[in-house]
Amino acid sequence: MRTRLATVAAAAGVAVLAACSSPAPSGEASAASCTPAKGKVTLQYWNTVPGMDKVVDLWNQRHPDIQVETKNISNDQYGTLGNALKAGKAPDLAQVGYDELPNLRTQNAFVDASACKTATAAKSKFVPWTWSQTSFGGTGVFAMPQDTGPMALFVRRDLFEKYHVAIPTTWDAYASAAQKLHKADPGLAITFFDPNNAEWFNGLLWQNDAKMYGYSDDKWQVTVDSARSRQVAAYWQKLISGKLVRTDLANGSTQMYAAYQKDRIASYVGAAWGYSMFRDNLPKQAGKWSVVPMPTWGTDGASGDWGGSTVAFMKGGKHLYESVEFNTWLNTDPEALAMENKLGGLYPAASAGLRLPSLEKGVAYYGNEKIFDVFADSSKKIDTSFAWGPTQKTVNLALQDAMAKAAAGDGTLTDALSAAQHAALTSMKDQAIPVTAGK
Amino acid sequence: MSNPSVIRESRVSRTAVMALMLLLAVYFLLPVYFLVVAATKPQGDLAATNGLVFSHFNLFENLRVLFTRSDGVFGRWALNTVVYAVLGAAVGTLISALCGYALAKFPFRGREVLFSVVLGGVLVPTTALALPLFLLFSATGLVNTYFAVFLPSIVSPFGVYLARVFANASVPQELIESARLDGAGEFRTFFSVAFRLMTPALVTIFLFQFVAIWNNFFLPMVMLQKESLFPITLGLYEWNGQTARAPLLQQSVITGSLVSIVPVIIVFVLLQRFWRTGLAAGSLK
Repeated sequence: MRTRLATVAAAAGVAVLAACSSPAPSGEASAASCTPAKGKVTLQYWNTVPGMDKVVDLWNQRHPDIQVETKNISNDQYGTLGNALKAGKAPDLAQVGYDELPNLRTQNAFVDASACKTATAAKSKFVPWTWSQTSFGGTGVFAMPQDTGPMALFVRRDLFEKYHVAIPTTWDAYASAAQKLHKADPGLAITFFDPNNAEWFNGLLWQNDAKMYGYSDDKWQVTVDSARSRQVAAYWQKLISGKLVRTDLANGSTQMYAAYQKDRIASYVGAAWGYSMFRDNLPKQAGKWSVVPMPTWGTDGASGDWGGSTVAFMKGGKHLYESVEFNTWLNTDPEALAMENKLGGLYPAASAGLRLPSLEKGVAYYGNEKIFDVFADSSKKIDTSFAWGPTQKTVNLALQDAMAKAAAGDGTLTDALSAAQHAALTSMKDQAIPVTAGK
Repeated sequence: MSNPSVIRESRVSRTAVMALMLLLAVYFLLPVYFLVVAATKPQGDLAATNGLVFSHFNLFENLRVLFTRSDGVFGRWALNTVVYAVLGAAVGTLISALCGYALAKFPFRGREVLFSVVLGGVLVPTTALALPLFLLFSATGLVNTYFAVFLPSIVSPFGVYLARVFANASVPQELIESARLDGAGEFRTFFSVAFRLMTPALVTIFLFQFVAIWNNFFLPMVMLQKESLFPITLGLYEWNGQTARAPLLQQSVITGSLVSIVPVIIVFVLLQRFWRTGLAAGSLK
């Protein structure tokens, strides 16, 4: 069992090879065959998206022979999936976040759909980084990208203007803006640092090209703690130590909205799917918000991604051909994408999705700015070689534990990185995944 | 001379008791009060205003959104909950009454053993039974149907226990004998004589079952996948899990919670007369 796990893990590791690699080792089960079934087929699709049943209804009307049943698993997505996998009752298709893909692949949870032409042909239809993660660097087709969270900076333009502070375009400028705002009004912070949100912090690492993992010589290299990640950590540590950012707010909490409502926070480092948060929870601040590109590190215009998910081909599915047909339609058809965007707030991973009519219009809440232009631009500037680890959840928890301590004045964010590095190494060794500390 | 001091003492203790009761009432009613206040607010005021103070009154709009969201699926959930709770409690009460009556009035071999087993059933929490039931229903193909929630809901060991105690206390053996002498069959005797005498007790059992099924969450969560079969509890839980992607759902979850407790309050107010006599009768035994 240990050796088998290790082989699978090694195969999963190919993820990191991205563009610069030789083809996948043939150790793992080769791509499943792709023949259409005779007669009517019913697929199971478990997801976390509000209104997804409506999108599926549309498909079902048009495809009487490929009927899809949905189940919403928002409340315990990976618990429900994990149990179903153990019981051998996994659905044909399931919603899986990008950062959870390697873990599930290590557990051999996916089917490679690359025998289906429709699946391999879909590559060109998606924003490049998403395909590199769902194909594990081009070694198969394990999922279709569904939505993404290209990052951008939400700013209270009125507050910046009131205190005559320019809206920052670099992180250096952001730090000095933090100081100016705080000096002008001691009750005002430029943003908050949520120590219990590793996913958000990982997005910041991604932006600075601080790759958390590498892969070579059949081994994972853990680089969670690297010069580039330390640069990000030290930067935020300085803001925390200087009390220029708040650390007492959880993302999306009532307290967070209350703080914004009372004009105590001037900006929000967020992602595309977050645009409705302020619109719906702080309607009185309509017209005061703007969305601008992420502050950059020096002259490098790179951006990062926070969140988003894929629709994976699950092991045990008996109708691969039909699954591919549905999955491709679901995530590339403009009509489907428009519905998902409208009902579920999804920001598409498909390039065609970035040009949806609803995403090209100005948004009233944001002073009729075309905010999605900013996100589309951000989306194109996301590094394609960033990869997640097979024990990402464990690493995220370790990171959060140590970040929470740092926020409370016990240790620093740099310490948190080394704690996360340690957690990555030990958790992978525990699963007999070949691993070493990278540079 | 001792009289006034007795009165003073009792006044002091009575005031203390009243104060304590008042405190407890506030403690128990505060969440309900919060729910009422929150349900009247638009989403934008939920985080932005004090939770215990009314702001912009938006209750009717919230209700409209609640009942029209996703093609009115909330109405469907409400109907399901009513079906599960009313039918489940009614059938459950009838079964409990029959069992309890039989255990009380028919001496037969193994009666006490049977009763002990039923009593043992009271000790097993329903949550612990959900998973075994799921496996059982899964094997018989009943998962994801109305029956998956309905069948377990009509079983109530506690109801059987109460019914036996009540039958013993309120149905005199002589009445049963005379009914038999008049030529009534056992079922006829039960329905025309015992059932009526046991009514206050049966209302108690009905209420217990009704509330238990109404609030049941874990069992439907384990059993059901199809949204159209959900009770309110499960539907609201599902919506709540999606608020990160669709913030406006939060207000509907709150309004839906308020709507969901109204029928329970109505049932209690209507049946509380029976409820009290039932409880009192039980307490003597």
